[in-house]
Amino acid sequence: MSAALLAVDGLVKRFGGLVAVRDVSFTVNRGNIVGLIGINGAGKTTLMNCVNGIYRTDSGRVTFDGHDITRRTPHEIAAHGVGRTFQVPRTFHRLSLIDNLMIPVLGSDLSDAELTEQAEACLARVNLYDLRGNNGEELSGGQQKLLELARVMMFDPRLILLDEPFAGVNPSLCRIMIHEIEAMRAAGTTFLLVSHDLTSIYRLSNHLLVLNQGEIIAEGGVADVRDNPDVIEAYLGN
Amino acid sequence: MARPRLGGPDAVRRLIWYGLVGLILVWCAAVPPAGGNLSLYFSLMMWVTLATGLNFIAGFAGYMPFGYVAFYGIGTYTTGIAVKVLGLSVYAAVPIAGGVGVLLALLFAPTLRLSGIYFAIVSLSLAIICQRLVSLLPEEITGGSLGINLGVITIREHGYYTMLLVLVLALLTASWLARSRLGKALKAIRDDPEAAEAMGVNVPRSRLFAWLLSALFAALTGGVQAWFTGALDPQTAFDVLITAKTVIYAMAGGLGTVLGPLIGTVVLVWVDELIWRSFPVLNNFLLGLIIAALILFVPRGIVGSLMQRYPRVRRYIM
Repeated sequence: MSAALLAVDGLVKRFGGLVAVRDVSFTVNRGNIVGLIGINGAGKTTLMNCVNGIYRTDSGRVTFDGHDITRRTPHEIAAHGVGRTFQVPRTFHRLSLIDNLMIPVLGSDLSDAELTEQAEACLARVNLYDLRGNNGEELSGGQQKLLELARVMMFDPRLILLDEPFAGVNPSLCRIMIHEIEAMRAAGTTFLLVSHDLTSIYRLSNHLLVLNQGEIIAEGGVADVRDNPDVIEAYLGN
Repeated sequence: MARPRLGGPDAVRRLIWYGLVGLILVWCAAVPPAGGNLSLYFSLMMWVTLATGLNFIAGFAGYMPFGYVAFYGIGTYTTGIAVKVLGLSVYAAVPIAGGVGVLLALLFAPTLRLSGIYFAIVSLSLAIICQRLVSLLPEEITGGSLGINLGVITIREHGYYTMLLVLVLALLTASWLARSRLGKALKAIRDDPEAAEAMGVNVPRSRLFAWLLSALFAALTGGVQAWFTGALDPQTAFDVLITAKTVIYAMAGGLGTVLGPLIGTVVLVWVDELIWRSFPVLNNFLLGLIIAALILFVPRGIVGSLMQRYPRVRRYIM
């Protein structure tokens, strides 16, 4: 079994004349948290959308656990075990919190009662149990981020793509999220994490990728990337 | 930790719903022997069935088909042609009408790749095309612009009770869908199709199922309507007002809820009757005002707004 769970090779994504992701290659090893950083418009979310099939790539290859998932649909990629959260929370507004959590497991062989019990347990882990009968639209922005995390936990995927999980979330909710992410990593889940919150991403990541104008300009451990002159220039300018 | 079941369908909710369906069944079934107004109750059952059918694709899946009447129209014509031209029994013609409606929905299925207003407009265009095609077909088949006169095929009560059967089937299908995993998938698609797909929901397959169900009930309704009235023509069978009224009834009650289309239709048909009797000249004006007020002040419909405003109500109604 290869150490790499996710391998991206020569990925290119264009929008008309704009090359949003340019010949990007990297791997994410099993059980790791790989942080993806870069300024706004660097192509981080586009890259995630290419990995989970929301965008069709123009060229390049995405391999998950040895399977080529490059031109698969998002639901097929999810079935392989790739879950994700979104930069702007995309909860199902008119579904109850319990039903929100049921969506990723609709194909499960478990009974509805068993799944409801699991959903309640996931909600309890992110402090949303008391709101379980409410609809998604009745939560605050930060709570919706937690709901997305609980939804992806319910799914129990092998790889989770987390897109800005800490954006707009208050410190106490952030602590809950970080605790849950660390718990899932300890249980063997792999992450690709996009965040502008450098403190959190430095704390959580085993490996960092720095994206600038659609290209990876640096990668390595936290110390390597933090002191890299190209990264400093990309973030702070000359 | 206490574990009350808030998310799943509970016994009280089901009891209320099935009790209501039972009551409708008994009430409507008692109309003919009691000498009630058959036409009024037939019309009411027809609109409730159409609104419930529309709810599958518009309320559950979030696709608003402005050309919904195409399935109803094709249902009326299938019954007409099956009985008048092919000489089939009307009892066989109505299920065939449902089947033809489903086939037409399969033919139109590629339009589901569109969304929002684009889907709505294309759907409306297809309904207009259907109307034109039916008008242009040889007169010996469709009767041309004059349509088909079926006359009295059976005693009227048979058509009436068949409509009641179709209505009950539609209501039971709606309650099954609301409790099923497919229903949850459809509601997730309605709220955010991209997120639903990323969570593993097979969006094309799920929405196709809702589309076919919607078409089935519209075509069955059209089929029974042709039987009950004994006459059909392209102008009335494919009248876009049928879609408009269906949409208004379903929205007034609450799209996406099982009870909404039923309540919306009953309330608006009753209000329409009331206004018609009291203010015959101002009927349409007043009805228009009431509908506009409903959309403005209760945009989620009567049942939908009630569920939004009083979350505890969600435990008792579907």
